[in-house]
Amino acid sequence: MIFQDAFKSATRSLTHGKMRSILTMLGIVIGISSVIILMSVGQSAQKLILGQVQSIGSNLIIIAPGAPNDGKFSSPASSQGIIITSLQLRDVDALERESSIDDAVPLVSGQAEVVYGNNDKTINYQGSTSSIFPVRNLEIGKGFAFTKSDVDSANQVAVIGPDLAETLFGPSLSPINKTIRVKNVSFRIVGVLKQGGVGAFGVDQGNLVIVPITVAQKQLLGTTHLNTILVQANANYDIEFVKSRITFALRQNHGITDVKKDDFTIQTQADILEILGSITSILTIFLAAIASISLVVGGIGIMNIMLVSVTERTREIGLRKAVGATNEDILQQFLIESVLLTSIGGVIGILMGAVVVGLIYIVLTTFFVSIGWVFAFPISAVILGLLVSGLSGIAFGIYPARQAARKNPIDALRYE
Amino acid sequence: MIEIKDLKKEYFEQEIPTQALRGVNFSIEKGEFVSIMGPSGSGKSTLLHILSFLDRPTGGVYKFLGKSIDEMSDKELARVRNSDMGFVFQSFNLLSRLSVYDNVEIPLLYSDIPAIKRKGIVEEVVRSVGLEDKLHTEAGRLSGGQKQRVAIARALVTDPSVIFADEPTGNLDSQSGLQVMEILASLNKKGRTVILVTHETETAGFANRIIRIKDGVVESDKAITSNRVLNGSLK
Repeated sequence: MIFQDAFKSATRSLTHGKMRSILTMLGIVIGISSVIILMSVGQSAQKLILGQVQSIGSNLIIIAPGAPNDGKFSSPASSQGIIITSLQLRDVDALERESSIDDAVPLVSGQAEVVYGNNDKTINYQGSTSSIFPVRNLEIGKGFAFTKSDVDSANQVAVIGPDLAETLFGPSLSPINKTIRVKNVSFRIVGVLKQGGVGAFGVDQGNLVIVPITVAQKQLLGTTHLNTILVQANANYDIEFVKSRITFALRQNHGITDVKKDDFTIQTQADILEILGSITSILTIFLAAIASISLVVGGIGIMNIMLVSVTERTREIGLRKAVGATNEDILQQFLIESVLLTSIGGVIGILMGAVVVGLIYIVLTTFFVSIGWVFAFPISAVILGLLVSGLSGIAFGIYPARQAARKNPIDALRYE
Repeated sequence: MIEIKDLKKEYFEQEIPTQALRGVNFSIEKGEFVSIMGPSGSGKSTLLHILSFLDRPTGGVYKFLGKSIDEMSDKELARVRNSDMGFVFQSFNLLSRLSVYDNVEIPLLYSDIPAIKRKGIVEEVVRSVGLEDKLHTEAGRLSGGQKQRVAIARALVTDPSVIFADEPTGNLDSQSGLQVMEILASLNKKGRTVILVTHETETAGFANRIIRIKDGVVESDKAITSNRVLNGSLK
């Protein structure tokens, strides 16, 4: 039997039981659409996270105190809440002398309550130099950034995030030159950051307070060590070379001769992207795997209905065999039916998935603007959906089709 | 055309062997019209199934057009059933939701006949059984006699050399039964071999030879010199 004829009789028998065909397809439709939705949402989340990391700039190198752990997914001890004092301001000075480095920015941070009049809010503050603004791409919306001389003479000035400004001063009052108190230390506000959303590493830029590092260390924290050093590499140099220069300089500064005893960890944007990329990919695969459970359930539904259909059409099978159909002809006919069922289900599932993904995008970008949701509808999910639906037709159709093909024509013709 | 020697068929029902055929011998020449008769349980249906390649014997020799069934694969049997044999069943076995046209076309789907030639062939055989005005009617809506005529058209569509009819009038009133038998007789007149299984003497009377089966063996095998066709009781 040629394929076109087999295809024609398959579509005919499916359209004869329209309601049954639709209900049978439903399982596959739901399965494929949930796989599509979860893969798309997963990729959107991945894009969002990676986009934030990318926004820190590709020349940026982050130095954290503490030895690097083995393995890709472990973080240095310093990020797990253990205080390590190995990074000092003199390390920054040493790094700034390197010709491959444009800028080295020290960073300390803490949490405190910020007060203006009767308003207060608990925020993250960062102490740094004036270079933090260009290096982190922090743009000033109102007023100015503090200057190098502010840092050198430990002036009590601050740049605050726009959300915090709104909280403390309301919509009408200008925050510039107002004095706020952080941990009972007074700061004069010189600038307000532009609206930027949630920045990299989960720091809420809108509620940030940035002060000169000299003031932060002496008056807010009472420490001399640094939490992080941000390095802006010279774009003319290879990032791995810059990394090696940093390693060399810091080892010299810290008197380290044994390479295994480094007391600092260097991470580039690429390293972070790789780690986050792996994590989010695993998450996406995991979500899709959960979704595919419904696909299996749908497939079993198809198998069930196909078995019923084979039994119902026993006489038809007998007749077809009597007039010359081979076992392969019968197998082909029933396989085409099940593959057709699952493929149509797959296409509907993909369309439904696309609609839901679109709705999610519209809702998140309309009502939750600050998340900065990005649209993703991976073509790979569509191809996977089509492939999986087609294959599930074969996988769940082969057993019923073989049952049909094996029927003895005499018994089949006698079947009541 | 058909040659059987010491043909045996043994069934196993719950591991107890049942002998349906215990050594049947006869041969049928091209152009004969043979009725196989016998009481129920005699083995006549089993014999027809083997003759029409729907089943294989468990002993003896069966040669169809000179070739032994033992030398043929299941696939070859399906091919011969398609191209050289036509089937008419007691219960019609039409696909009731398909049109007359689609029903008659089924054997062509499994043949080598190209799609463009099919339409003409189908229309011609449907006309030959007098149902050209019902070509696109659903088979389920036809009367019993019309259904059996569709079945005959389906049996003829691949232009087979032999037609097997298993109690073709069993589900029909006498008028329609007569009509069906007339068609079979006229096919035989045009040179087709017709092998008919029936227990009705009336129906068997259309043949020019009657083979009686009893308890799995041939009881009698007689040529009829004065059948209903020769008698002129038919036009």
